[in-house]
Parts: sequence; C-alpha cells; structure tokens
Amino acid sequence: MGEITRRPTKPLQVNPFRLSQPMGAALAFLGIDRCMPLMHGGMGCTSFTKVFLTRHFCEPIAIQTTAVTDVTAVLDGGDGSIVEAVANITKKVTPSLIGLHSTGLTETKGDDLRGVATQVDYPLVYVHSTDYEGGLESGWGKTTKALIEQLVEPTTATRTDKVVLLPHVSLTPIEVEKIKEFIALFGFEVHALPDLSTSLDGHLGEKQSALSNGGISVEAIKELADAALVISVGASMQPSAAALLKKNSGIRHRHCAHLQGLEATDQLVATLLEASGHEKPPASVIRWRKRLQDAMLDSHFSLGQTRVLLIGEPDFLAGAGQVLSEAGAKITLAVATVDSPQLDAIPADKVMVGDLEDAEAHQANYDLIVGNYHTEALAHRCGKSLVLRGYPNWEMVGNQLKNDLLYEGGAYFLCEVANAAETMRAAPH
Amino acid sequence: MAQKPKIRELLDESACAHNKNKKSACNAPTPGATTGGCAFEGAQISLFPYADAAHLVHGPMTCVGASWETRLTHTSRPGRDLTQMGFTTGISTNDVVFGGEEKLRQAIDYIVEHYAPEAVFVYSTCVTAMIGDDIDAVCRQAEQTHGIPMVPVHAPGFVGSKNLGSRLAGEAVLTHLIGTREPKNTTPFDINLIGEYNVTGDMWQYTPLLEELGIRVLSTLSGDGRVANIRTAHRANLNVLVCAKSLISLPRKMQERYDIPFISVSFYGKRDTNASILAIATALGNADLIERAKKLIAREEDKLDKKLAPYRKVFQGKKAVLNTGGNKSWSIASALQDLGFEVVATSVKKATEADKEKARATLGEKGILMTNPGQEQAKIIDEIGAHLLLAGGRSLFTAIKKRIAFADVNQEKKKSYGGYGGLLNLAEDLKNALQNPVFNNVARRAPWEK
Repeated sequence: MGEITRRPTKPLQVNPFRLSQPMGAALAFLGIDRCMPLMHGGMGCTSFTKVFLTRHFCEPIAIQTTAVTDVTAVLDGGDGSIVEAVANITKKVTPSLIGLHSTGLTETKGDDLRGVATQVDYPLVYVHSTDYEGGLESGWGKTTKALIEQLVEPTTATRTDKVVLLPHVSLTPIEVEKIKEFIALFGFEVHALPDLSTSLDGHLGEKQSALSNGGISVEAIKELADAALVISVGASMQPSAAALLKKNSGIRHRHCAHLQGLEATDQLVATLLEASGHEKPPASVIRWRKRLQDAMLDSHFSLGQTRVLLIGEPDFLAGAGQVLSEAGAKITLAVATVDSPQLDAIPADKVMVGDLEDAEAHQANYDLIVGNYHTEALAHRCGKSLVLRGYPNWEMVGNQLKNDLLYEGGAYFLCEVANAAETMRAAPH
Repeated sequence: MAQKPKIRELLDESACAHNKNKKSACNAPTPGATTGGCAFEGAQISLFPYADAAHLVHGPMTCVGASWETRLTHTSRPGRDLTQMGFTTGISTNDVVFGGEEKLRQAIDYIVEHYAPEAVFVYSTCVTAMIGDDIDAVCRQAEQTHGIPMVPVHAPGFVGSKNLGSRLAGEAVLTHLIGTREPKNTTPFDINLIGEYNVTGDMWQYTPLLEELGIRVLSTLSGDGRVANIRTAHRANLNVLVCAKSLISLPRKMQERYDIPFISVSFYGKRDTNASILAIATALGNADLIERAKKLIAREEDKLDKKLAPYRKVFQGKKAVLNTGGNKSWSIASALQDLGFEVVATSVKKATEADKEKARATLGEKGILMTNPGQEQAKIIDEIGAHLLLAGGRSLFTAIKKRIAFADVNQEKKKSYGGYGGLLNLAEDLKNALQNPVFNNVARRAPWEK
C-alpha cells in the first residue's frame, strides 16, 4: 500500500465531492418499505437531498422536513417541530416507519432526538447525522446501526438457512440484488438491510406512492436476529454487524471489505460453501468465474498501461481499486471523501482524503478517472477518459442497474474500463 | 450588523400585489408538509451565475456539496467558469465549537491567490449564522487586504424560502456592488436585466435582438454577468425584471435611490417575447426605437411562423393538460397555445392571485383551473380527451394509464425554451413526446395478467 493522507490541510474544499451524513441517512431509510425519512433541519437540507437523489435515480424520492426556521431554531428544542411534522405526515399517509435524522443545524442547537422520540406515539427510528462530521457512507452506516438497535428484537434462536446482508452505501440497487441472489444460490433466505434493490431499482409501480416504494419491511427487520449468519460489506457496516450480534450472540459474522474482483468473490464463495455445507457452487457461478478470468485476460493489455484515478467513498475505492489492479491497472491516486479504516486496504500508490482540486493537481499521474458526475468537467479539462461511478451521476440514466460486483459484474466492469481507456487512446490529440 | 438586511421588511415587499390582502406575508413553512428550497438556495440561484466571482459557502457539506454544478447557467467569460465550481469552508465540529471566522479568512486568501476572481461572495448558512460568525467583519478586512469586492450574503437557509433568499441576494448586491464604479460610457438605451440567469442560454435567445435595436445590456443580475458591470448598474435607464418576482425589491429600491424605472417581462413563448421587446422599447421612450422594435418583431414572428408551420400541423387539434406551479401555470400555457395546442386545463394549486388571473386570461372562459390537480387531471383527461400531459414526474403514471403522451415540466432542462428560438426547441421536444410510442408500449399488459 502507498502513502496515505488522512486529513486535508486546506482551509476549504474546492470542487467537493464529499456528501453529507443526513443524505446517507435518508438514503438508508429509503431502503425500508413504506418509510418516510424525516430530516430534522432547515427545509433546504431536505430539498437539496430530494433533488439530488431524484436526479440520480430518475425516480420520485419520498422525504419530509421538520422545516426548522430561524425562530424555531432558537425557541424550540426540536420537540415542537418534530411532533408537529409527524402529525402532519400521518394526516396524509400511513408510513410503516418514520426515519428521523438530524442535520448540522439541529446538532448545533443540540436537540435531544431520543427524548423527542419518546413523545412521539408512532413507529420511529432516530439517528444523529450531523453534516459537519462524516459523510454519505457514515450516515448510511449509522442509520443501519440505529435501525438494528431500535427495531430488532433480541432472540436466542437461530435459523440455519437465514442470512442477513449489510451492504455499504455505494452499492447500487442491482448490486444488492445480485449479492442477495448469489447468496440465495447456496440455499439461503437473504435479507438485506437497508435494501434499495426493491425500492430504488427503477421499477414502474402501479401508482406513485408518497412513501418509499419497496425495500425491507419493518416486520422483517424486527426478526433479523434469528439469522445464522450476517455478512457485512464495507468497513462502514462493521458497527452495524456488531449491533446485530448484540441481539443474538449465536449469529456468526463474516466481514467482506468489498465484493469486487476474483479474490474477494472467491472468499465469499468459500464462506458460503462452508456455511451451506455444499461442496461446489452452482454451475452458473462456476461459469461466471471463468468468464471473469477471461475478461481479466482480455482487458489486461489495455489496463496494464492505464494509470487510474479513483474518486469516491472509502468502501467503493477499496473494491474498485482491487478489481482493477487484479487485471494490472495502476491505481496511482485514490481520493476519498472521508477518513476510514478502509483507506489502508486501497491498492493505490497514493491515498488521500480530499477534493477534486487535489485530484486535478495530480493530473499528470493518471490517464483515466473512475468517479462521479463532478469528475466529468475534470476529465474534459484535462483530457482523461472517464468511467462514471458513485453519487451523483446526473449525466446518465440507468445508474441503479450498473453491476460491478462478484464474478459477473467484475467482468462487465473490467471490459467497460478497458474500452474507455482505449477510446481515449484512439481519439485524436 | 447595520448592513444586514431587515428580513421582515423584505417579506412585506410593497411592490408585491398579494401583500395587499395577506396579513402575514410569505408564511413560515409547515413541519412535515413542506417542499421547496431554502433562502440559501435562492441566493445561490441569483448570484452564482457571476462566473468571474468565487462563491464561497461558509457552512457544512450539505449546502454546496449537494448543489454545486447543478444549474446550466451559461457564461461567455473566457477562462475558468467559476459558477461551475464549488467552494466551501466545509466546517467541522471543531469550527462549530471554536468559531469558523479564521478558517473563512484563510479560505478567502486561498481563493484569491489560486483563482484571482473579480470578487468573492461569501454566503452564511444556518450553522455559521447560529454560531455567530461575523462574516461582515471578515469580508471588510479581506476587501482591504485584497482590493476586490468581498460581498457578504446573509441568506442562511432557515430564514425562509428560496424567494426570500433571492431578495437577500439582491440586497447584498445593492449594498455592496451597485454604484461602486462608473461605466466607461453610457448610452440612452442602457438597461439592466434583473432575474435573468441565462439557464441553458435563455438570455442569448433575445439579447442579440435587443442589441440589434441599439439597446445595450449594461449589466445583469446575473446571467452571463460580470461583477465589474453590476457595479455600474446605477447608470442604466431602465431595469428589466425577467420572469422573477422574487427580486422585485431590488428594482423598486433602485427606483427610489437612483430614479431608474422598471418593468417586468417574460420571454417564454412568442406572444410574451413580442410584448417584452416592445415593452422595453416603449419604456425607453424613443419613438424611433419603438418603430424599429415593431418591425423587428414582425420580422422575427414571420421567420418563426415559417419554421413552426410543420409543427403546427402536428399540434393542430391536440389538447394539453398542464400541471405545474407558479408563473409556469400560464407562461407555459401561453407558449403551448403559440404552438397550436388547445390548453384545456392548468393547475393553480399554489399560484398567487395574479397568477390565477393570468391563467384565466390565457386559457379563456372554457379553460379549467385545477386547484387539486392530482385528483382532477385523470378525470379531465377522460372527459375532454387530452393528448398530452405536461406535469412533474409523479404524474407519469396518470399519463401511462390514460395512454397519452407525457412531458416532464420539472425535468432539469438541457436546452433553452426561451425567446423565439426556444419555442422551436419546445416544439421539437413536444412533437417527439406526442409521436413517441413508449407511453402506449409500456402500458401493455403482461402475459400473466388477466
């Protein structure tokens, strides 16, 4: 592993791509069926988040705000606006759960969410998610942990055929579905928390609901503790797994830093073979492993001469870095949104927490960028190839259907990156 | 603190028609039942188009982290387009506890050193307003150090709506920029465009026509704007407020302070564009100019009609239902009529009294003004047999169920619908929507459904 810079040294961020904790929290609540995320802050916090996610997914996004004003910011300890918000929401719709999460504004005030939650006579989960700490990934992780702590019922019984999957925030809806199906191939019943694979997967519903439409049900969350195995994916999900183990000490935990590339998928398969007692994986898995091997060989010539800049959340960087470097791509720089233990696992010459100005300063060191929408201007200005990944991607449709994981997605991803590199090399300079 | 605008006063804008019969102006939002952006977003929308200025947001990540590079406001400025950059102090827990002024000062120094902007706009946000950072003092000192305008913008999100934020932005410009510099020369036909942000190049659809008439755009707030020009705005002969009631305080105050008259116009659709060009010429009060404007309008109308002829054939006899808000409820209706559509219904759910009157005037006696469009639109489509539904994404399923064409009015637009040229873009997009079989195709029953 290369050099790691964990703290930015500048007094500001220029062209930032760090996203906020409340947004991560809201997104996690959107992975619960018929949930209403309720952001406790100014109406702008919610509006920005709603527009951001609507454009990314091309879907209506259910979210409400406590609409804190300059007056209530001073006079109200949060209880007034939260209680009123819940009353107004439940006048119109009947959510299965209200997902209360705070913002920088209300954390500066120091509102006591736990205290307020006791005043609300409605199913509610609360999470402190200030936006002057952490980011999208930690907001999602903290919310998952809060859901487990506040909803899951403790038990001592275990069902040997039941697996809980805890996916990190950068996994797309279809990727979550692919992991669920993959695990199910070994004979397990799989529950993902949060589960965007059935809510923000971009499906035409019978009618547009004012609540999240799909996702894991509150009932299923309550019963998660009788699983025999919990698989966490991404360092940000470790604390959630630990929270689940507290509900039932009989659960076994397997942690995957990520699920990209040959090695990581092999490890998951080994885990599933052991847990299921199967001797061999199903034929389709074996076939896809061979296809990935072939894709690695087909793409290695191009990738072997490509220097890559990775931009994104730490858990994403670890996975994308691994699958690309397995086929010989040189990850010269990885810029992360926030600090994370995961930074140690990113196979890059240089890893730093920073912004796109930092990335631009190193432009001589890479040929291709894997990053979000905001890297497009950078790629254009500096003449680099680009593979768009991560939040937001406002440029393309079909973000929820992109699959880079396991044997199958790895094969697609390597081909896509190699093709992007070749297109750029073939372009007249 | 004396320079901070008085929010109450801005909420009770005397030039707003609706304030005559409303006790509490522009009410506070309702918790749990609110959509729409905050004051900071309004300020951002109004000022970010100055591409030669850096826009530094003093706050936590959400404010600009989720919102930079979202609006296609074009600039002709050579070099780096600072509008499409995000600058933020991205304050941390430490700053909340110990104050963020020092970080802000260093951030300004950094920006001036690395990006040499013509000015720096510094936006306070909820958190930095709460912890009491004195951005006025920081700006004053930085202005002395760097010798360029430093404009504090006091529009933290929680003081109110986008609309109020735009006003606060106008207030900042009036206090810190307008009247701080003299233009090189003046002409009798100098105008300021206020509230035109040049989204997708809308402004460039009509400014060449104004220039052809000898009307000079002295400055803008803030489409394709330059800081140096807005500083000279006090020398204009006319303020032209473009489709933006939110900024009405600014021209009203400029009238009081600098004796500059103002008019309110819209460049959406053919008739509005005609009327607006003529209104500007008339307000400038030169008989020859008015004559030339009339001729130019006739010429452009003729040119446009020829280009629209093939579209009109497609749109002839087609009925449209419009479900959108604010001034769009009549301005889009008017543009649709220009194209040959019959607009059978429009939504006035959140419209002001003035908007309702205009909607009625546009649609005529028979037109339906929907107060609860979510419920009403499906019924109207059934009863009147509409061919096209223009609405927000939530209404898509209504169109599919009724098997009629759908166009998303709220979709982030990528090309201009403004002026004469924009109407052609709109025509092309609506023709494509009407002729697209997708709405019918996706409504197909699955083979396993009975």
